[in-house]
Amino acid sequence: MREKIKKSGAERRRTPWQVKLSMAVMGLGQLCYGQIVKGLLFLLTFAGTLFYFITRGFRDFVGFFTLGTTEENLWMGIPGDNSLTMLILGLFSIFILILFLVLHIANIKDAVYTARQKEKGIPAHTFRQSLQTAADAKFHTTALTIPVVGVAIFSILPIVFMILIAFTDLGGDVVYPKLAHWSLSPWKKILSLGKIGSTFLKILQWNVVWAVTSTLLNFILGLGMALLLSKRNVRGSKFWRAFPILAYAIPGFISMVGFKFMFSQSGPINYYMDRAGLMRIFFLTNDASAKWWARGIGLFVNAWITTPSIMLMTTGILSNINTDLYEAASLDGATPFQQFKKITLPFVVFSTTPVLITQFVGNFNNFGIFFFLRNGVISNYGNYFLASDTDLLINWLYKLSVDNNYYSIGAAISLIIFLITAAVSLTVYVRSAAYKQEDTYQ
Amino acid sequence: MKKKRLTSKRAADNVLTYTVLLIMAAVFLFPCLWLILASFSKTGSLYDFKGFFPRAFSFQTFIDLFTDDVNGLYPYKTWFFNTLYVAVCSSVLGTILVLLTAYVMSRFRFKGRDTLKKTTLVLGMFPGFMGMTAVYIIMTQLGLINKLESLIFFYAATTPVNYMVQKGYFDSIPNTIFEAARLDGATNLEVFTKITLPLSKPMVVYTMLTQFAWPWSDVLLPKLLLKDRNMWTVAVGLFNLPDTHFARFAAGSVFIAIPIVILYFCLVKNIVNGLTAGAVKG
Repeated sequence: MREKIKKSGAERRRTPWQVKLSMAVMGLGQLCYGQIVKGLLFLLTFAGTLFYFITRGFRDFVGFFTLGTTEENLWMGIPGDNSLTMLILGLFSIFILILFLVLHIANIKDAVYTARQKEKGIPAHTFRQSLQTAADAKFHTTALTIPVVGVAIFSILPIVFMILIAFTDLGGDVVYPKLAHWSLSPWKKILSLGKIGSTFLKILQWNVVWAVTSTLLNFILGLGMALLLSKRNVRGSKFWRAFPILAYAIPGFISMVGFKFMFSQSGPINYYMDRAGLMRIFFLTNDASAKWWARGIGLFVNAWITTPSIMLMTTGILSNINTDLYEAASLDGATPFQQFKKITLPFVVFSTTPVLITQFVGNFNNFGIFFFLRNGVISNYGNYFLASDTDLLINWLYKLSVDNNYYSIGAAISLIIFLITAAVSLTVYVRSAAYKQEDTYQ
Repeated sequence: MKKKRLTSKRAADNVLTYTVLLIMAAVFLFPCLWLILASFSKTGSLYDFKGFFPRAFSFQTFIDLFTDDVNGLYPYKTWFFNTLYVAVCSSVLGTILVLLTAYVMSRFRFKGRDTLKKTTLVLGMFPGFMGMTAVYIIMTQLGLINKLESLIFFYAATTPVNYMVQKGYFDSIPNTIFEAARLDGATNLEVFTKITLPLSKPMVVYTMLTQFAWPWSDVLLPKLLLKDRNMWTVAVGLFNLPDTHFARFAAGSVFIAIPIVILYFCLVKNIVNGLTAGAVKG
């Protein structure tokens, strides 16, 4: 053991000059080992990063902390800083910095590896050999590089940006050319009892009611349809199954906009109400009386769109039930209802718990339904702040941050949505057997 | 006596079952039928309908859809090819990326795998378009505003986050197949392209299909990134049609829905497999 430590210590002291070169400038060591292509690639990355930081990266990095120092001055012709852009570009420079550090460490590791090989008398890898390693021994790294970078730029960067924005005063009155500052004001506005706070509470209540009702409704209907179609006396179940699949295949927004037309004031439903001598109903319009109509229609349309997929899913799961169970049960004299209660339901509920959760989370954040059904309605009663009585938190978030530039409040709300969904799904994920024992199947 | 009661019970059951089936079929079919009828309406405005039925029928709307863009307001043909371009590119790119991710996460054990897994889990919990403002600014900085490529990049780059369904499928392929290939001297890349992919055809098809269908129905992102009417996708265009152009909406919808519906029906087995794989594995 001691010898081993000694040995590695000795190796460390004998760091070759090529490795030291690589530590200072990416790729130089590789070049000196005769690995021209690889060395040049590293060197090019190094030069590129350096160029970026000198021309703008460093300025962006500083801007991240100050969020702008010069306000626009039209008289003097000074363009001024845009806090929103500065925040994201600053964040971007930090991402580049991290990426650069990761690459630099990889470059040093690579140089050390070559040095070790040289000591053993093995020549340095040619570029072709390096490519082979990338395709084989290092396949996981190679394969994941592009996905990770893509997700980092288009998914993680925006999310981190939004989280940060929740702690500034950006948005509302504070938009370009005004300068923003780091602050907790959005949280104060949401948690206080002002107009924003009361709107938040009202929407949150409806959001929870919506998520629970629509998830249960869709699940029960979907399971019911699956059971109905698997009944023994149903002939041509393939034919009957085609109808829900038809609904499933139509792009969602077409169904939603279609239903909006159907329930609109001059739409067919109201036409028949008129013909029957009834009053026309303001189903989806901006009117206090439309509140529960619109909510009900939302539930219906959501069920129309989602139940087919739940039906398909449960059909697949139902076919996995061991049929011996039913035979044994019917021999023991169990009625069909008892069989359903004791065998089918526990099995389906058990194996679809993850689905139920994703459905719940999906419904909690179901943006489309009310976005398409009630395009941009902002309720003119009940003291809603830039929201309608059917809006879910996510719809409100959209109206706040995309339609009306209330960035920081919108960001704070998305953080709250995240906390709720994360709490719900984490408890289930941690408990779900599929996550814990993923290796048992292999 | 007992037998008779049983048959009458069975008959009642049959009647009930088929009544429910008929109601179900009607509920799902009727709105589609209505849209199809509407697409053949002659006048086109929602105000000219006799309830669910157009007053007069004609094929004109479908021709107008492609020939008459109402002074450049509704260039459906351009929208259609825009969407087709985005859908094909992002489907191919996105499928490659997500399959690679899923395969690596399923077959390899390496440092940082757990971190990646947890990160994607957490990412999935953020509301979908939470970062839209940021995406808009990033695209502006990259000079991609008003360009279809912005959509392709975004769709393709963000798909690997949802790799769980595909991973579940790869998990179910027995390890021995891979080990045998490795023993025969195949590199990991070869194992992926020559063994895994051919074995996972249903999953590849499912992934490509869902990726392909998404741009046809996404309104939010194109609405934000594409400002020029001629750059719009079909979804944004149809979404912006007013009541008075209802037939145009219906015809445009029917025209894109039919190929997608046919695809779904042909591939229904793959879809069911994909859905159940996702369901069981979570």
